[in-house]
Amino acid sequence: MRITRIARQGARSMGAHKLRSFFMMLGTLIGVAAMVVVMAAGAGAKANVMSRVAGFGSGALMVNAGGGRGHSMPQEGVVTLTPQDADAIRAQVRGVDIAASQAVKRGASIKAGSAQAFGTVLGVEPSWHAAWDWPVERGRAISEEDMLTMARVCVIGATIERDLFGGLDPIGQTLQLDNVRCQVVGVLAVRGTSPMGGDMDNRVVIPLTTALRRVFNQEHLASIRVKLSDPRRSQATADEIQALLHERHHITPPAEDDFAIVSETDVTQAVSGIEGTLTRLLTALAGLSLLVGGMVLMNILLLSVNERRKEIGLRRALGARERDVLHQFLAESLAITLLGMLLGTAFGWAVALGLGATIGMPVALTWAPVAIGAAAALAVGLGFGIQPARRAARLDPIKALA
Amino acid sequence: MIEFDRVSKTYGEGAGQVRALQDVSFSVAAGEYVAIMGASGTGKSTLMHLLGGLDTPSAGVYRLDGVDVAGLNDDGLSALRNRKIGFVFQQFHLLERTTALQNVLLPLIYADDYPADAEARGRRVLEAVGLGDRMDHRPNELSGGQQQRVAVARALINDPALLLADEPTGNLDRQSGLQLLSVFKRLHQQGRTIIVVTHDEQVAEHADRIRVLRDGRIADDRRVPEPRDADAGLETLAASEGAAGAQQPEAEVVP
Ligand SMILES: Nc1ncnc2c1ncn2[C@@H]1O[C@H](COP(=O)(O)OP(=O)(O)O)[C@@H](O)[C@H]1O
Ligand SMILES: [Mg+2]
Repeated sequence: MRITRIARQGARSMGAHKLRSFFMMLGTLIGVAAMVVVMAAGAGAKANVMSRVAGFGSGALMVNAGGGRGHSMPQEGVVTLTPQDADAIRAQVRGVDIAASQAVKRGASIKAGSAQAFGTVLGVEPSWHAAWDWPVERGRAISEEDMLTMARVCVIGATIERDLFGGLDPIGQTLQLDNVRCQVVGVLAVRGTSPMGGDMDNRVVIPLTTALRRVFNQEHLASIRVKLSDPRRSQATADEIQALLHERHHITPPAEDDFAIVSETDVTQAVSGIEGTLTRLLTALAGLSLLVGGMVLMNILLLSVNERRKEIGLRRALGARERDVLHQFLAESLAITLLGMLLGTAFGWAVALGLGATIGMPVALTWAPVAIGAAAALAVGLGFGIQPARRAARLDPIKALA
Repeated sequence: MIEFDRVSKTYGEGAGQVRALQDVSFSVAAGEYVAIMGASGTGKSTLMHLLGGLDTPSAGVYRLDGVDVAGLNDDGLSALRNRKIGFVFQQFHLLERTTALQNVLLPLIYADDYPADAEARGRRVLEAVGLGDRMDHRPNELSGGQQQRVAVARALINDPALLLADEPTGNLDRQSGLQLLSVFKRLHQQGRTIIVVTHDEQVAEHADRIRVLRDGRIADDRRVPEPRDADAGLETLAASEGAAGAQQPEAEVVP
């Protein structure tokens, strides 16, 4: 077809002037690359937020020991949060389904024979499993009887199981926690990543009474997990809990709270806020680069129309119509931006994967940026190519040849 | 085949107006070989542009193959140039970084139907101008004479009714010029219609007929009783230069 023959002339001109073409495609290349990185980071961040929020669990609140905002962890050494607070929340706050106490020791050394692992030891009430929607996968959960007898039993997470027992069945085996030996009675379902990005499967869960009396030797809790009967009343319930704890801990605002209530919304905001800044920055870079690149493309193409007056005049003398010349220059412009798009996509993927590997930025490669990049390349190629192409088409062949 | 009926061409308006051609009338029959002569500024190029469909008359009628060119729009003129005219320019106007063969095939890009045997045709016309062994050379690898013959091959690829040459020997040495005129001679013998614009009387005398332009009008129109023979001219040149030991191999290229 005539149009394809003419388009090939345009594409060939791109190949014949490699350096010039490279400068013309640079803006599109960088713009598309930035966009690919943005979208890879965005998709990665979204997947990350989703998994972290899933780790927190839905329809729940955390009451953490110690003040502070956002999704801060319970502060160690704060002794004001007690099992009696949990009892009061259970008894007095409306819309609370479960209030499960937990005591925590992080970075605990856990041994089985000669194998050693580090993980988080949790002392929990039996309702803890339901409060976290976190059942055992094998064996049994922590029971009321365990609580009453301060039983030396534990339920372990998948990471601990793997690190200490390899492929062997851990149930019935014994663990050493500080000076206390516990028998493994169950294995927790795999949970994945916490809102803070930590491994949630490195847990050793023991009865709360055992933890407080035999292992930690303390009276206070790290946090209380509250499961709501109506997730939509999350804020109201949080307010009631705050009022109750103010009263119980004798706190009068503006004095600072010695506890922090964290909701699902807090976690989502805190996690996605970090990536949001980077995304906006890169998106601006992508847009700016496409725009500047388009201007550069247009101006170099305008210069080249001037330089190639003779060629244009010749083509017209040999039978090219005005619109044949228009099409040739548009084809050249499009060939440049589309090649820029392809190289930019490859470059962007490489950068995204590189960032993922080096700074651990979560990335997910999707096809969406390829489609958007193609659309952007088309828009830049046509939008900024049209003026030079028109100028070329309107050249008077006689003057061009002179 | 070509009819010019009181054709005028004026450039500009009012006081600055230039009348490049005034009431020019002539006709060229199919198969004629005509030279248009004249000093600089007498309207030769203007006449060429009109003949080639690159421009249209300000007044009067130009008919090519019975078609009034004034009635054609850009598409019509472009198609006319593509199908009926073969241009040869003083400056060759070949595309750089493009092989001789690809240069020759360029007009076919603008034809409605790209012929299936395009390459074979390109090779044939290149052979006809004595460049069978230079098809894949780029312009910067060819001599001026060879470049101009590539341009002639390009002009012939669409088998045009009219071959139009504007000072085709203007940038060539004497020998290359004669070689080009030798190609024209054979094309003329094959029945091709040729119009050559030149200010060089010796070049003009290779044609059957000379029309002389002066101040935009035809001042003289004469038959050449015995046109010069380019091949004989080449032999004479070779003999004189051969004696001086400066024979160039290109002389043997033209068949
Ligand atoms: N585009 C133009 N605009 C104004 N004047 C022109 C233009 N082209 C040619 N002329 C004038 O027309 C006259 C004939 O020019 P041209 O056909 O180029 O002559 P030649 O080719 O014989 O030297 C000259 O006086 C020239 O200055
Ligand atoms: Mg001239």
